[in-house]
Amino acid sequence: MIELVDLTVTFGGVTALDNVSAVFTKPVNGIIGPNGAGKTTTMNVISGFLKCSGHIRYNDEEIGRLPAYKRTRWGLRRSFQREQIADDLSILDNLKVILDVTPGGRAQKAADAEQALEATGLAPRAHTMAGELNTFERRLVDVARCLVGKPKIVMFDEPGGGLSREEAARLGDLILKVPEITGATTLVIDHDVDLISRICAETLVLDFGKRIAFGETAAVLGDPKVKAAYLGVEEVDS
Amino acid sequence: MLAITRSGLAGTVFFLIALLALPALADGQWIKIFISTGCFVIAASGVAFMYSRLGMVSLGQVALMGVGGWVTLRMNHAFNLPFEINVAVAGAVTLVFGWLLALPALRMRGLYLALITLMAAGGLEVIFSTFRFPNGGPGFWGVMPSVAAPFRRPWIAQSDTAYLRYIMAAAFFGFVLIELHRRMAPGRAWAMIRRSEAAALASGVNVVYYKAWAFGLSGFLAGVAGGLLAGGLGLLDAATFRASESIMLFALSVVGGARFWLGAVIAGVLYRVMPALFSNWGINSDLTLVIFGAALLHAIMTAPDGLSGQILQAFGKVTRRA
Ligand SMILES: Nc1ncnc2c1ncn2[C@@H]1O[C@H](COP(=O)(O)OP(=O)(O)O)[C@@H](O)[C@H]1O
Ligand SMILES: [Mg+2]
Repeated sequence: MIELVDLTVTFGGVTALDNVSAVFTKPVNGIIGPNGAGKTTTMNVISGFLKCSGHIRYNDEEIGRLPAYKRTRWGLRRSFQREQIADDLSILDNLKVILDVTPGGRAQKAADAEQALEATGLAPRAHTMAGELNTFERRLVDVARCLVGKPKIVMFDEPGGGLSREEAARLGDLILKVPEITGATTLVIDHDVDLISRICAETLVLDFGKRIAFGETAAVLGDPKVKAAYLGVEEVDS
Repeated sequence: MLAITRSGLAGTVFFLIALLALPALADGQWIKIFISTGCFVIAASGVAFMYSRLGMVSLGQVALMGVGGWVTLRMNHAFNLPFEINVAVAGAVTLVFGWLLALPALRMRGLYLALITLMAAGGLEVIFSTFRFPNGGPGFWGVMPSVAAPFRRPWIAQSDTAYLRYIMAAAFFGFVLIELHRRMAPGRAWAMIRRSEAAALASGVNVVYYKAWAFGLSGFLAGVAGGLLAGGLGLLDAATFRASESIMLFALSVVGGARFWLGAVIAGVLYRVMPALFSNWGINSDLTLVIFGAALLHAIMTAPDGLSGQILQAFGKVTRRA
């Protein structure tokens, strides 16, 4: 369970997040909203990259005061809108860097990395340098990094961005498996409503930094307020 | 983890050939030049790895060599300890000294480290030229006019030729030390820091801690290099450690190519051997500055991995794992 309580973030005079609260209880949950709605800001706040007021709790444990790198050690994983993997490390080393700071024995960590590589289909290329990978493979490495070190919360920021339909669908299937593999509560940010409605059980809708709807995905997407603010723009009527 | 890369193999072969050939081929004056070249190679390896692995620019490396040299001379004339202990202390003191200077900058992003190390180099330049280097005189600063007390070299390397081999071995172990770091947790953390601060944080990397580690390793290498340089002549001159020399060594590390061991070797050779060659040939050694400037432009514009990248590529030695 991820609990966001009264999150507020301002940049100079701009309020990027305005008293946003939500409680995500399902294995895979979504955050949607038009460009600039505050989705990435929400994720950055949960990651500890930005200062904010309010609370972030996981199963009643407050994590909103931990420095960012300690949140990762605690069990927070995330991918980025533009993936952030190191070109001069192998795929395996890109996972090891997280395992370096999480608890566990050598053998256990090796098995953990192996499992993540198998799940993402990267196992045969474990020793390939990340710099040699294409966009989709890089995204897969980003996902694999989210699977290691016993994560508690996993977040994906626009995982389908820049991918073909088919690749985005494969990635969607993979994300659905994240809670099964790791037991982590998963948050997916996207403006692709198709993806969100396919994989997310509960969804938060943001617009101009405000929560405009929250609840079961189908119900939320049927909400007239959401349609007006968001779906109308995207011309989606499913 | 102990697998040897092709670049590593080439380096080991190069080291063994140099170990056998260089002292045999060179005469008295050149032995001395190669000794100091070796010391600057060690220092260059420090700035080079910081730049290539973390994107950190340090413009104070030669000044930190001066700190290591000062400590080594101070220890040599104050106590009767073996050379290795003096140099080890010099490395440790320089490491801590570097940390104290750089910690505020390591907390910040961007060019602060470059600025603060350059300012430190300027400050040290003034201190070195005011107080000079210990030569066996009385008191804390230990300076006496004209003569110098004897300097104890390592007992296995009393002669100049043996000392040159000693320096080459030290440089080799310096490269091995850096390579071991690269393959373990610090190297992985450094790669994430270079990617971006966000990438590092999302990987659980304590950015300040690992930047400090890198700067400490580089400072240690500078301190050891300075101590070894002191052993070359038995005394040091403030002019060796001017701030401009630190800038020069950084620039030449970029020219040489910061990613590879060969880059640091080229940097050391350009820094120390080239001016000596020029003055042997009766050419004004300021001309080297013009050549270095051109080489730097060349490196920045066309050769991101520097001369070493181009050379290793030409030999087909560059793999992505080099
Ligand atoms: N670092 C920043 N500095 C100033 N404004 C920012 C910053 N990051 C985001 N914003 C602003 O906050 C708002 C929300 O941005 P963001 O969370 O990136 O939106 P999105 O929902 O598209 O991910 C936008 O108006 C954006 O311009
Ligand atoms: Mg965004």
